[in-house]
Amino acid sequence: MGKVEFPEVKYHIQMKKGDVGRYVFLPGDPGRTDHIAKLFDNPKLMASNREYRTFTGTLLGEKVSVTSTGIGGPSTAIAVEELIAIGADTFIRVGTSGGMQPEQVPGELAICLAAIRDEGTSMAYLPPEFPAVADITVTQALKLAAINLNVPYRVGITQSKDSFYGQHEPERMPVADHLLQRWKAWKMGGAICSEMEAATLFILGNIYRKRTGGIMLVAANQESDDPNVGVVEELDDLMAVSIEALKILIKLDKKTV
Amino acid sequence: MAVRKTKQGAQHHIHLHKGDVGRYVLLPGDPGRCEIMAEYFDKPKFIVQNREYVTYTGKLLGQKVAVTSTGIGCPSTAIAVEELIAIGADTFIRVGTSGGIQPGTKVGEVAIVTGAIRDEGTSLHYMPIEFPAVADIDVIQALKEGAIRAKVPYRLGITQSKDSFYGEVEPERMPMADHLKNRWKAWVDGGAVCSEMESSVLFIISSIHRKRAGGVMLMAGSADTQPQTEEEFAEFHKLFDVHRAISTAIEGLKILIENDLK
Repeated sequence: MGKVEFPEVKYHIQMKKGDVGRYVFLPGDPGRTDHIAKLFDNPKLMASNREYRTFTGTLLGEKVSVTSTGIGGPSTAIAVEELIAIGADTFIRVGTSGGMQPEQVPGELAICLAAIRDEGTSMAYLPPEFPAVADITVTQALKLAAINLNVPYRVGITQSKDSFYGQHEPERMPVADHLLQRWKAWKMGGAICSEMEAATLFILGNIYRKRTGGIMLVAANQESDDPNVGVVEELDDLMAVSIEALKILIKLDKKTV
Repeated sequence: MAVRKTKQGAQHHIHLHKGDVGRYVLLPGDPGRCEIMAEYFDKPKFIVQNREYVTYTGKLLGQKVAVTSTGIGCPSTAIAVEELIAIGADTFIRVGTSGGIQPGTKVGEVAIVTGAIRDEGTSLHYMPIEFPAVADIDVIQALKEGAIRAKVPYRLGITQSKDSFYGEVEPERMPMADHLKNRWKAWVDGGAVCSEMESSVLFIISSIHRKRAGGVMLMAGSADTQPQTEEEFAEFHKLFDVHRAISTAIEGLKILIENDLK
């Protein structure tokens, strides 16, 4: 059998080397890539295949990209593997999430320092004892950006789950007691938000020595001690802080290079 | 059942009362290192010893600080941290020695620990295994700046917190040799920077109690950088100096205190 050549264009994201910069935002929703790209200079649609949609533009003269991951660890792992293969090395997951602590107010941001590996994909990479931890420089940049723009935030742990409805409607699941008991443990452990992709991203970042981070809008809070707590779907603060954080990182990188 | 206390009302194991320590506590494993660390404090004072728990207090920048030894391993560390929290401590810096994991790690570098592999049994009594043992971002950042101030070479990263010392250093003679070696390879590939025995339970308990924790470990180099010649051994002993980790921790603690006073 002849040597198998890997296609130059990556199988799922449909991009090749040069199509993205080293900095990539990772929303879950393909529809949100357009919103983020609008904040770049000279954004250009690079590819759109399945749930993977990518724009590339510049910030402070540096090439930056946004690629959607789709929902969940499985599709996120594919996106991150292929983005690394074509040269990306800094990833910021941006998304929406639910709050987990009673005092969290919808509209504030959750900066994810680490993730509960409540999912299956990362187990194909590392045993569960290994912590899914974000990069400290990226996390610190996200924190400074929130401070600079005066947006309320907290830094903490996210629950990265595989089952959306297992979290939102656990009582109707065959494993209801198991789900409820674990949710209680995550809350007592101080987890600040619940989403579905960060753990996989952080584990891949550790393995490939790439920088990762995550910032979530706390859109709702089922654990709030305010019974009239609302839902916030306005993404402007989230987007502005994410862009500001990436600018901070770019400036830091330019200093050290 | 209520927490047991001694006849004098002190915590059962560490024999300390409310008011004995401030909010900031350094946590070495070795009781013998407490005195060495206390020498960095202003007005160091020996408070009490019981079992492997030795405590000194003193001041830094006018604030009360303490050092309490944990003994080796997560079981005794969990007890120390639980009891220190019960008497008012809220900021913990583990200071210790460790082996370097990544090839090219030189003796004398310190590891500033961001998270810990929960390769131990104690933290499972607190949280399911999927929950990350992660340090506090402000403590990590302060220790990083502390290393810069103390002029100590550092790397940030994940530590392996194991239960079996000899399972790590002599895995081949263990009944579980293949299992231990496979997992070690996973930790190396995952980028873990050092191996020690207490951080994971400190981080898990701190998350549960909403306290701040971090760690700085002096590293003895990695397998590929171990000394071979007499000169190299002499150099090794010069650089494997616990004062590198202590000075990083002290500078980091001062930065935390400065920020807290703001």
